[in-house]
Amino acid sequence: MKKRLGVPLYNIGAVLVGLVISASLLLFLKLNPVEVIALSVKKIASDGYTLGEILVKATPLIFTSLAFAFTYKANLFNIGAQGQFYAGAIAAIALSLSLGDRVPQGVLLLIVLVASFASGAAVGGLIGFAKSRFRANEFLVSMMSTYVVSALMDFLLRTTLQETKAEYLQTDAIAKSTYLPAILPGTRVHLGFVLAVVTAILIWVLLYKTPLGFRIRAVGYNHNAAELGGIRSGKIYVAAFFIAGGLAGMAGFTEVNGVQHMLLQNFNTSIGSFGIGIAILANGNPIGCIFASILFGFLNVMGTTMGRLPGLNIPASIIDLIEGIVMICVIMSYFVRKAAENRSEKQRLKKAGGK
Amino acid sequence: MMSTPLFLGALAEVYAERTGMMICAIEGIFLIGAWGGFVGVYLTGSLVIGLLVAILCGMAMAALYGVVTVYMKQQQVVTGTALNILAAGVCAFFQRVLFGVPTTPLQIQTLPKIAIPLLSKIPVLGPIFFQQNILTYLAYVLIPVAVFVLYKTSLGLTLRSTGENPEAVDVAGLSVNRIRFLTVLVAGAIGGLAGSFYTVGYLGMFTSGIIGGRGWIAFAICFLGNWSPKGVVFGTLAFGLADAVAIYIQAVSGHTIFPNELIIALPYILTIVLTIARSNLSVPAKLGVPYAKEN
Repeated sequence: MKKRLGVPLYNIGAVLVGLVISASLLLFLKLNPVEVIALSVKKIASDGYTLGEILVKATPLIFTSLAFAFTYKANLFNIGAQGQFYAGAIAAIALSLSLGDRVPQGVLLLIVLVASFASGAAVGGLIGFAKSRFRANEFLVSMMSTYVVSALMDFLLRTTLQETKAEYLQTDAIAKSTYLPAILPGTRVHLGFVLAVVTAILIWVLLYKTPLGFRIRAVGYNHNAAELGGIRSGKIYVAAFFIAGGLAGMAGFTEVNGVQHMLLQNFNTSIGSFGIGIAILANGNPIGCIFASILFGFLNVMGTTMGRLPGLNIPASIIDLIEGIVMICVIMSYFVRKAAENRSEKQRLKKAGGK
Repeated sequence: MMSTPLFLGALAEVYAERTGMMICAIEGIFLIGAWGGFVGVYLTGSLVIGLLVAILCGMAMAALYGVVTVYMKQQQVVTGTALNILAAGVCAFFQRVLFGVPTTPLQIQTLPKIAIPLLSKIPVLGPIFFQQNILTYLAYVLIPVAVFVLYKTSLGLTLRSTGENPEAVDVAGLSVNRIRFLTVLVAGAIGGLAGSFYTVGYLGMFTSGIIGGRGWIAFAICFLGNWSPKGVVFGTLAFGLADAVAIYIQAVSGHTIFPNELIIALPYILTIVLTIARSNLSVPAKLGVPYAKEN
C-alpha cells in the first residue's frame, strides 16, 4: 500500500517538471516564463468559464483514454481511438440532423448515445475480429483504421452530410433540441462530462467486479494460461475492442452534441493520441483516467490561455509541446520511481541481512 | 520516386526492430527530419547542410527515444506516441520562433534531379530509375548494402540476435543496451533523412501536415516486409505503385468514378488488407521488450 501513495506524488512531480521545462521554452520567444505562467494561472482561476473549459476539454479525453486503457488490460493496443471517435461523431451528427426536431430531446439524446457507441464499437469490433480470426497485428490495423475512417468522414462531409450552403466542408448546425444540456451556468460544461465520469466508473466496475472484466484481464496477463482456464481469447479480443471502440465513439457524441453542435474537418485531431498518454499515466485504471484527463484538460486550457494573453503572440502549438513534454516526464518518472524503490528495497534487505 | 522516404524509413525500422526496438516515434522522426532539413536549407542556403541538420534532428529524437526505452526501460508504444506529439509541437513552435508568421509560405530550393549518364537514356525505365535526386540513389545503394550487412556480416548477426535472444548476446560479452541504443540512433539518422525528402527533396516547403502518416506507413512496411530489407523493397514498390495507380485514376476519371477520399485512403486500406493476409509473420522474438539483466 505504501507504493500506491508514492505513485501520484511522482506523477505530480513529473507534471511539474514538465511544466517547468515547457515554460523555459518560452524564453525562446523572449518572454519571462514566470510572468506568463502566473498570468495564465490567474486568468484561469479568475474566470469561471475558463475553469469550465477544463472539464469540457477533459470530457472526450476521458472516453478516448478509457478506449485505450480498456484494451490495454487485455494486452491489446487500440491505437484507433481517434478513428472510432470519428465514427461515433458521424453517427451522432447524422442522427441529430435527421431526427432534429422530430423526437423529444431526452429520447433523441438516448438514441444518439447508443448510435455513437454502436458506430465506434463496430469499427473496434472489426479490428478485434481481424486480430482474433486472422491474427492480424492490431496495432497496425487500428492505426490505419483511423486514417480510413477520417477519409470516410471527409467524403461524407463533401457529399451527403454537407451543409445546405455547400460552402465549407462541414455540416449544418444541429437543432437546439439536440444539444446536450449545459450543467454549469456560465460555462460550456455539459452533461457529457457527467456521462464521461459515470462511464469511467462503470468501466471500472466492469473490469474489476464482473466475470467479463476478469476474463479480459486474465487474457491480458497471460493469454495462454487463460486459454487453459477455458477462456476463449479470440472472443475476448473482439469484446474488448468492441467496448473500447464504443467508448471512443461516445466521445463523438459528446463533442458533436455537447460542444461543436456540427461536424467539421480536423476537429479534436489529437484526442486519440492524448488518450493513449493519459491511459498510461493512469496505468490503465479507469478512475485514474478521469483525473489524468482533467489534468490534460488543464494543460490544454493553459496552452490556450497563454495563446490568448494579449500582445505576447504565443502560438497555439505550445499546447502540443507542453503535453508532449509532460508525457515524457511522466514516463521518465516511472523509471525514477522504480529506481528509487529498488534502492530503498535493497537498503532494507541489506539492513535486514546485515543484522 | 515517392517510395524513397518510405523505403529509407522502413529500412531504418527493420534494423531497429531486428534488435528488438519498435520505433513508434518514426512519424515524429520523419517530421522533425523534414523540418530540420527545411530550416537548414533555408538558413544556410546549402542543401548539404540542410540534409545534415535533418540527420541530426532525427538522431536527437531517436536518442531521446532510446534513452527512455532502452536505458529507462519504459514502454515503447507510449514513449513513441509521446515523442510524436512532442515532435509536432517542437516543429510548430520553433518554426514560429524562427520565422514568426510569414505572409507567404517560405520556400527553399529542392534537391536537383541528377541524370546518370547513359543509364538514364534507356527508354521508359531510364528516366524513371535514373533521373532522381540523390536520396533515391542513396536508397538504391543501400539495398544491397543493407541485405549484405544484415545477413552476411557478424554485425548483422549480432543485431539479429539482440532481437531474438538478447541473453545470448549478453553472455557473449556485448552490451545489449548499447547495441540497441546505437541502432536506434542510426535508424533515427536515416529516418530524419527520409523525412527531409518531403521538404528538401520534393516540396520545397514545410507544413505541419507534410508527413501525414507516412512515417507510420514506413513502420507498417517493415512489418509487412517480414522484417527483411528485400521485403521492404517489395513493400515500398507496392505502395509506390498503389500511389501511382491512384493518381492515374484520379487524373483520368476526376471525382466521378472513385471519390477523392477513397484514393487518399487507399494506402491505409492496403496496409490493413496486407496485415490481415500476412498472418505468418516472423516477428523478432523480443520485439518491444526491454532488456533487463537478471541481477
